[in-house]
Amino acid sequence: MDFKLTEEQELVRQNMREFTEKYVDPIAAEIDENSRYPAEVIEKLAEGGWLGMPFPQEYGGAGTDYLTYIIAVEEMSRSCASTGFTMSLHIGLVSGAIYNFGNEDQKKKFLVPMAKGQYMGAFAFTEPGAGTDVSAATSTAVLDGDEYVINGTKTFTSNGPVADIYVAFAWTDKSKGRKGMSAFIVPKGTPGLRVGEHFKKMGLRSSQTSEMIFKDCRVPKENLLGEEGQGLQIAMDSFDHGRIGIAAQAVGITQAALDESISYSKQRVQFGKPIARQQAIQWMIADMGTDLSAARFLTYHAAWLKDQGKPFSKEASMAKLFAAEMAAKHTSKAVQIHGGYGFCKGFKVERLMRDAKFTEIGEGTSEAQRMVIAGNLLR
Amino acid sequence: MPRIVVCFKWVIDEAYIRTGASQELDLENVDYKLSDYDRNAIEEAVRLKEEYGGSLVGITVGVPEATKGIKDALSRGPEKAYFINDASFDNLEPSQTATILADVVSSQIEYDLIICGEGSSDLYAQQVGPRLAEKLGIPCISYVQKLGIENGEIIAERKMEEGVEVVAAPMPALVTVVPDINSPRVPGLKDTLMASKKPVISITKDQLSQTYEPCLQTAGILAASMERNCVKFGGELEGIAGFVESLLKEGVIS
Amino acid sequence: MAGVWVLAENHRQTLELLNIGRVLASKLGTRLAAFLLHDREMAQEYIEYGADDILLLPSLPEDQSLDAYIPVIAEEAQKQEPDIFLVAATLRGKEIAARIASRLNTGLCSECISLTLDESGKNLEMERLMFGGAAAQKVTCRTRPQMATVPPRTFEPAVKQSGREGQIKELPVPPASALRVLEKKARAHEASDIREARVVVCAGRGIEKQEDMALVRELAEAVGGEIACTRPISEELHWLPENLCIGLSGINVKPDLYIGVGVSGQIQHVTGIRDAKVICAINNDENAPIFEAADYGIVGDLYEVVPKLIKELKGEK
Repeated sequence: MDFKLTEEQELVRQNMREFTEKYVDPIAAEIDENSRYPAEVIEKLAEGGWLGMPFPQEYGGAGTDYLTYIIAVEEMSRSCASTGFTMSLHIGLVSGAIYNFGNEDQKKKFLVPMAKGQYMGAFAFTEPGAGTDVSAATSTAVLDGDEYVINGTKTFTSNGPVADIYVAFAWTDKSKGRKGMSAFIVPKGTPGLRVGEHFKKMGLRSSQTSEMIFKDCRVPKENLLGEEGQGLQIAMDSFDHGRIGIAAQAVGITQAALDESISYSKQRVQFGKPIARQQAIQWMIADMGTDLSAARFLTYHAAWLKDQGKPFSKEASMAKLFAAEMAAKHTSKAVQIHGGYGFCKGFKVERLMRDAKFTEIGEGTSEAQRMVIAGNLLR
Repeated sequence: MPRIVVCFKWVIDEAYIRTGASQELDLENVDYKLSDYDRNAIEEAVRLKEEYGGSLVGITVGVPEATKGIKDALSRGPEKAYFINDASFDNLEPSQTATILADVVSSQIEYDLIICGEGSSDLYAQQVGPRLAEKLGIPCISYVQKLGIENGEIIAERKMEEGVEVVAAPMPALVTVVPDINSPRVPGLKDTLMASKKPVISITKDQLSQTYEPCLQTAGILAASMERNCVKFGGELEGIAGFVESLLKEGVIS
Repeated sequence: MAGVWVLAENHRQTLELLNIGRVLASKLGTRLAAFLLHDREMAQEYIEYGADDILLLPSLPEDQSLDAYIPVIAEEAQKQEPDIFLVAATLRGKEIAARIASRLNTGLCSECISLTLDESGKNLEMERLMFGGAAAQKVTCRTRPQMATVPPRTFEPAVKQSGREGQIKELPVPPASALRVLEKKARAHEASDIREARVVVCAGRGIEKQEDMALVRELAEAVGGEIACTRPISEELHWLPENLCIGLSGINVKPDLYIGVGVSGQIQHVTGIRDAKVICAINNDENAPIFEAADYGIVGDLYEVVPKLIKELKGEK
């Protein structure tokens, strides 16, 4: 057992903190308020080499291990959960899918610019009628000569309005059930692909979310990711990776909630003493710190398993489930500690509470995580 | 093409310091950081190297465990680092730090310009730069807010109480810089990963020409009270006079 | 020969150092010497303010700075071996003190805020702040002279005693320093970033009309500060731009002096001034939370208090 991070991992955390202090903290409240995608921050992240962290240098990445990348997502989320999510989505889910399932040509053509942050990715998976129940999806892809013709509507596509590369899922042969779905790489500007309705979200507001509409959208057959029928496997594997990122996001959010709560409770005087000296507040903070540590260990453990080349699907779901639920619970407590001020705009905790809720829903709801975990345990 | 040396220090991050029951400092769970002012020093050195060419090395004195600090500094631009280390180099006082640096700089490094932060984030004694210049017998320009090289001379703007003083000095010279001089870049991920691969020249205590005893002895360190005074004056002339007098005593107006 | 030496580049701080120097010299039963920069006429005056000896430094050519004196001062110290050497902690003072200490291979307590003799009556116990003001460090000096730089106003100025006598010694002209002063520019009053300002005067909702902002500006000028505001002033009233709004979702300032005028002290605002060295408030509500966060407050109507305060401040200058 070794719970010590390497010096490099610690330095990466520190550098990400320096990055967020300089570029993200000053705008985090504003981009939340205005639902603004912080293109300038994404550009800086690209410049700094942060958007391809875990991929080998030959593919434009930095070649870090997965845990280092997870630490960066956590640290970013501590400042701005929306941007932390954008990192996790772009790197863990979308670029990761191409890295893990793409062929050499696809990696050169798509992964390299994505890892360099020149292209941003989106994952067009969820459909209006098909959330956790994937089998209810209706999008189809039909091979017509050298092209697949994709039809269907995807919803809740994070990065939808701003992405350059979409990994989209559609049935190539629904009769084959779980083996009937395929994944495609669809570049922005492909005829027949358009951005639908933008969603106004309660949290994670600067991350852009929309419908994506595929209408006779033709992509060359070279853009089939993996093999025909491998789509669901690609999606599930990508979600396993993505969930570690969401867990890290929840950990970062809760760390911020704890920081804010400690600092506020030491300052806020009621009944002649700082509220930090009231047992009621102390217990909330103790619980928050304890759950936060537990969630962090689960998250790092899942990343570590991934780095060791061991199965991590169950652990990723456990980390995501636990971290998300504790984030939702404790950000609410953090608002409680801030009292009336916490309920108003201006204090960070109200944003944290709204953002934390996302982690219980995005990339598989808590209920979906329980299904995965139970499936693993009862196998 | 100046050969630049930049000095840096790995210090306790004061944000992590807690106060114990009897006002003693609790340093149990502290984290360390690159001294804030040294970030400006390194940034300025990098900027000069970008403008004028030349070379840039870093140098520090500390305990052998301070390797993370070396990597941190290297991630910000120096090509290599001299790491003078010994387990006893914890809590060195400025006269020791300066003489140890001078020992190594004079015997091992060829240089035209040495850049230091105006002080360190922990002690903020603001002595190491001037003392080092003195030991090396080179000109010292302190509190510099703008730095350039013209015709082989250092041209510097010093930020003084009464205004700006523009000075020139021949090289080799030492300057100490104030935070206004620049806004340090945040190292990119690749800079951080590359830092581990840059050469570090470790110099141990027995490689120094002599031992350096402290001049100052610390008798104790206690947490400073951060409580506000909460003194209230009335709005009449007498109260206002008392208010002004208090501010004068605090030294915040003159 | 022992002795207590003091060196300051300006008059006021010379008097402050003469005061503490006199106390220490008397306790040690030794002489107090003060450096005097080329103004011979002041010599007798400083003797009356407590000096026994005046060490007169010759005037320097235009292009030379204070650092040129270092060799002369260090050499004199090597000859006379003072026991204590206090230097005013001006920027130049701090630099030359460190360099003289280096030449003399002795210790220097930077920005010393308390100077007392220990039980033996021979050694100085000196206090200074470290960790950004979070901690106070107490040091002693094993070598001689015991040196310290002393921030302005740490001690009261000495009181004049007419009829005191003392000696004046002229020190030699120093060799030219390698450092050449090319130009001196007085500080221009420019609208700078208030995050860097040493003094910030902040307008709050207690200001009733936009034209009354002139009063706040006048106070800012009197204390040499920049003007800032609370959120309502910028966001609702637009009397000042957003980038001058202090507090949560505004900016954080860390001036030496903050004066809140008509600022009630909502926590969102107070959090942005947490790092100010001295916080002052002017408010007519005695129970306004700002007073709990302030070092010094004036309870009163700002429209009466501020004009009186400006007058008082100008009288001091």
